[in-house]
Amino acid sequence: MKDGTWRASWNRIAGALAPALLLVVSCLPAKSQTTSELLNPLFQGILARPADFNNALQYGAQAATGDVESAISTYEQLLFYNPNLASVRFELGVLYYRLGSYEMARSYFDSALKMKDITPALRQRSEDLIADIDKRLQPDQFSGYVQSGFRYQTNAALGPAAGTVLASGKIFNNSFAARPDGNWFGAFGLNYVHDYEQQNGNTFEASAIGYDAQQFKLHQFDIGVMELRAGPRFGIISDTATGLSIKPYFVATGATLADAAYYGGLGGGLTAHVKLGDVSLDPYAEIVQQSFRNLTLYPLASGMTGALSTVGLQASGPVYASLGFQSRVTYAHADANFNPFGYNAYAGDVWLPWNFSPLNDGRTWTLTPTAGLSWWQYNAPDPTIDPFVTPNILEWRLGLGLEVPIWKLLYLGMLAQYRADVSNVSAFSMHDFSVTAGPTMRF
Amino acid sequence: MRSSRRFIVALTSALLAAASASAQQVGTATAVNPLSESTPPGGTTAPLVVGAHIVHKERVHTTPAGTVQLLFTDKSTMSIAPNTDIVIDEYVYDPNAKSGNMLVSLTKGTLRFVGGQLSHQGEATITTSSANIGIRGGTVTVIQGPGGTKVINHFGIIKITNGAGTFLLTRSDFGALIQSWNTLIQDLGRIPTAEVAFYQAHTTSTPTEDGGVPGFKGTNIGHCGLGSVQGTNCPQVPWMPTDGGQLDATQILGNATNFGAGQITPPPPPPPPHRNPGR
Repeated sequence: MKDGTWRASWNRIAGALAPALLLVVSCLPAKSQTTSELLNPLFQGILARPADFNNALQYGAQAATGDVESAISTYEQLLFYNPNLASVRFELGVLYYRLGSYEMARSYFDSALKMKDITPALRQRSEDLIADIDKRLQPDQFSGYVQSGFRYQTNAALGPAAGTVLASGKIFNNSFAARPDGNWFGAFGLNYVHDYEQQNGNTFEASAIGYDAQQFKLHQFDIGVMELRAGPRFGIISDTATGLSIKPYFVATGATLADAAYYGGLGGGLTAHVKLGDVSLDPYAEIVQQSFRNLTLYPLASGMTGALSTVGLQASGPVYASLGFQSRVTYAHADANFNPFGYNAYAGDVWLPWNFSPLNDGRTWTLTPTAGLSWWQYNAPDPTIDPFVTPNILEWRLGLGLEVPIWKLLYLGMLAQYRADVSNVSAFSMHDFSVTAGPTMRF
Repeated sequence: MRSSRRFIVALTSALLAAASASAQQVGTATAVNPLSESTPPGGTTAPLVVGAHIVHKERVHTTPAGTVQLLFTDKSTMSIAPNTDIVIDEYVYDPNAKSGNMLVSLTKGTLRFVGGQLSHQGEATITTSSANIGIRGGTVTVIQGPGGTKVINHFGIIKITNGAGTFLLTRSDFGALIQSWNTLIQDLGRIPTAEVAFYQAHTTSTPTEDGGVPGFKGTNIGHCGLGSVQGTNCPQVPWMPTDGGQLDATQILGNATNFGAGQITPPPPPPPPHRNPGR
């Protein structure tokens, strides 16, 4: 590869990663204690007048927003003054949980549940966090979701408007033009972690996601996808503040389309995990050999067969109060047997889960706005569509999800999404609005 | 004569300066359950009270019923269990330079150390007869008994050193046992929840005690368990998007529509063969 090509590739990768890094850096909490914090009049007040518990309360609340250990010290001081308060024990549990000290957190949540003054909301929150801690303390940890429901789309084909005229003057295949339809779908996500219980934090991890949709009318768009990832994670720095680790993994994907085997992918990658403050970063690089099979309805699909190389960065953490973020930016390069089907693509998605409890019962509702942007630049003009224009597509998507707790692990999940593709080739332009609803079990 | 006067003045000044330095407050007793006692350097042992200044070289001792919390000027705290003996061997801290060091001897008993500025710089050490325990981070429980020293890491990196070697405790909730100065440091792995809970309860007030400060009812405490909207930095149970499979499916379907299907309307099927009515 020529030097200029390397430089161009690097520029593309850097361009893809820069927005995520900016997002991450902007979200990093200021952890270190400054001199002004040490000279904080509230802290000096505790040193001079420790029995002034109103001063200690103010300082504890202030410290909890950034200096977790100092907040622990203060709430443990208050616990000395009255060991029978559920709220103090709960706060200490929360603070130790934030440090990753789950055994200490559990002991405080457990003891909070035994206090006479515990409120129903505090009991619910304590029980939720204890359940999460119990999962984390097991050598074999399972988590995930199962969802089923109905989805309605204004454009189930994700195709252009019916009657679109191609550059050749011919009419776009109407079987794949925009038409509304509904479907029944089932989806699941499963994460498994085996903790070897070693100082270095070595684990074995596996995850699987699956999705199957059966259309009510347009069965050429019935689709099923299953993806499996697994690999060992090696701890490099295993303290909970940094948690640096690397994981090689393999990935296997299969998909059916129109109820026939359509796609298979096999590959591997390397990912790292590191914590900067409260923000988790997971950069990764992977390569997957994709194989598409021609079907009667999709006679040209095998032209997309080839290697897909991806580098990306996933990040997650708190934003403010109970608003968090999860984000992913990627750069992908796809080779294809038929060169016009190969592409370079940049994509970025962000999820902003916001937890709240509108009924004041401690049960958490989650409202999640989502947004994403993708840019595809294909390798060459497709002679069957427009022999003179190399297609590019800009896609943007917006969504809003809501999960409402129903009973124990059962939620009602709802998601509304709008997706629009804008292309320099009219056949690739489309828009779709979809609404999804169904019961979701999280565990 | 003049020179000997000068010498006496200088010596007196030096001694006063040294005494002042050694008596400099390094912390405060923020909670005290009776009976706990302290012995300042060169002073007599007296019951410890809330608000008492803790000074360099001070010895703090708790009886079988006593518990204490000490707050240091760098924001570190020590919660000290009954039947415990410690000495503040060294404590130097300059808040402007944010530097110094802290060395505490634990002769017997149990304490929980919650780190401040000095431990963030790796400059806090607890010594026992079996090991030196360097704390970076960090929050740790140290138990010194007849069987040696047990260390439970709650947070941070704990460097344990003795005559037989060095051991790093890097995982929260993991522990180590050091039987004596010359025995190998033993990795205890994850410490059981019940044991952690025992030491947590052991280093605070019992239900009938008030740490020397009565009347605290705990109004306006906390921001995570109350109200309809959780406050800043409340822990959130990990959330996993449920649209992962749908996103993959959309990608595959979009490509299939754009490329796999072919874009051109297929030619109409050939007309059925002309039938001769047989006329």
